[in-house]
Amino acid sequence: MILIFKATGLELIKIFSKWRTYIGFATITVLVPLIMGLVRRYGFGLEYEATRSLGNSFEFIGSLANGLLVSYYLMNVLWVHFPFFIMLVAGDVMASEGAAGTYRLWLTRPINRLQVVTSKFLATFGYTLAIVLFLGICSIGLGMLIVGGGDLFVFDKGILILSQSDALWRFLLAYLIAAWVQMTVASLAFMFSTWTSNSVGPIIGTYAVIMVSLIMAALKIGALEKIRPYLFVSYFDVFFMPFCDPIPWGDIGASLLKLTAFIALFFGLSVISFMRKDICT
Amino acid sequence: MVLRTVNLSKRFGNRWAVADLNLAVESGQIFGFLGPNGAGKSTTIRMLLALIKPSRGTYEFFDQDARQLGIGVYRKIGALVEKPDFYLYLSAERNLKMLGELSGGVSSQRIDEVLEIVKLQDRASDKVKNYSHGMRQRLGIAQAILCDPELIILDEPTTGLDPVGIKEIRDLIVSLAHDFGKTIFLSSHLLHEVEQVCSHMAIIDNGKLVVQGAVHDLLKATDYFVTEIAVDDPERARTVLADEPRIRQITLTENTLKVQAAVEARPDLVERLVQNGLKVSAVIPRTSLEDYYLSLVQHSDGQ
Repeated sequence: MILIFKATGLELIKIFSKWRTYIGFATITVLVPLIMGLVRRYGFGLEYEATRSLGNSFEFIGSLANGLLVSYYLMNVLWVHFPFFIMLVAGDVMASEGAAGTYRLWLTRPINRLQVVTSKFLATFGYTLAIVLFLGICSIGLGMLIVGGGDLFVFDKGILILSQSDALWRFLLAYLIAAWVQMTVASLAFMFSTWTSNSVGPIIGTYAVIMVSLIMAALKIGALEKIRPYLFVSYFDVFFMPFCDPIPWGDIGASLLKLTAFIALFFGLSVISFMRKDICT
Repeated sequence: MVLRTVNLSKRFGNRWAVADLNLAVESGQIFGFLGPNGAGKSTTIRMLLALIKPSRGTYEFFDQDARQLGIGVYRKIGALVEKPDFYLYLSAERNLKMLGELSGGVSSQRIDEVLEIVKLQDRASDKVKNYSHGMRQRLGIAQAILCDPELIILDEPTTGLDPVGIKEIRDLIVSLAHDFGKTIFLSSHLLHEVEQVCSHMAIIDNGKLVVQGAVHDLLKATDYFVTEIAVDDPERARTVLADEPRIRQITLTENTLKVQAAVEARPDLVERLVQNGLKVSAVIPRTSLEDYYLSLVQHSDGQ
């Protein structure tokens, strides 16, 4: 067990020694302040969209837009765009070692393959958690700093007004859940990564699976309802659930459990593949 | 016995890359594992290091079945498999530290020691991507000896090196065996390498063992020793020795006579030359492993 933790630490060193790891962090560092700055300068256009349907019943005085509202909307990138940063690293973790031939160094040490694949998986989880939380901290921190704090207005089947302190802990919960959602993406890319010695394949493969699944989940065709429960993207929206009132703990738990099953499946297939693999490179 | 294989075999598709290989390596030997490219040397080494699974057969380390020993045995084994691939974006020191930690941890002092042995101490903090091929090869040996293993498995460690680099690696291998008491299993397709470095050898061809034993004994038994004799009149010397029945072949290159004969015949041959008024200035024993090897491999192909 100690060896796994040691190896995980070493894997994290490897991950964070590669420039590709910082693409996601750099993008967030540039994009979030840019968005917040633009909102501060030009206002939040979506505010009108959100309040238009309620305009007949409510009178809005002043601006509802603040850093928390922008952060809330920014969470939508977690669906399609953000997973790219996850795939970029998770798809490389196993494949790059095969391509570089470094498995020969690693596996001729007193560490077994299960320990190797587990440590790489844990390190991938570490990266995923780090980048999701980085997005959260940047978007909420910079949002409050640049645009300003205040109550969060959530427009979803009505209006939910959350005080700043209430909203903040819900954001924390949402981002932790989002990390688990992204871990599903990471574990899929990781699985593809064990099957090949080229990190481009896992990235394309994972993206293809996500896009096809999202299309199937979005289409309002009755026949597709049958397979929807078996698509992991069907549970992606779980990170928005903390902003409901009351928080649907049961639904969150059920979705997380299903995502966990997908993660376990992808990890299990990765282990089987790696254990049986002849290291010929 | 440090290493023993029992009917070790590996099949890729319908082709047996290694078939019923039986090797025996004893403590303190520099064991040359010789064969042409594609003979099955690297496949054998990969099986020994659990990188690929044997299709049949077993192997033992230190007189125990490797399956019973588990991965713990790799604490006592250092290896360099084919070209030395490292994490290019990390320094040599960091690479060694990481590998050491997987083996239970090594001190900074030990890392400095091995870097000094392979003469890389001045470039320890440089990223490996800035290393030449020869430096990477030496770093490969450094990682193999990092945890002070009893058995060192080296797969073609001089591939791609310049003559100076080759000599350095060969000297290092000999030093590891003689000065540090390591057992070396050296795979090579270079005959001179095995001839110069190894005490014992096995020849493999088409995945099958052709022969194994002490280099000296194998050559002696097959009478393939060559002696170079420097004389004042090589042409006449050749005529003098022409009817000597113990000589298998005589060739003349520049001013040196190359005589292929058993070691025991050497004093008599020299005496005969002197008795015939020739001045012998040097007698240099040279084995001809190349001839021996080719005869075995050709014979193996013929079968």
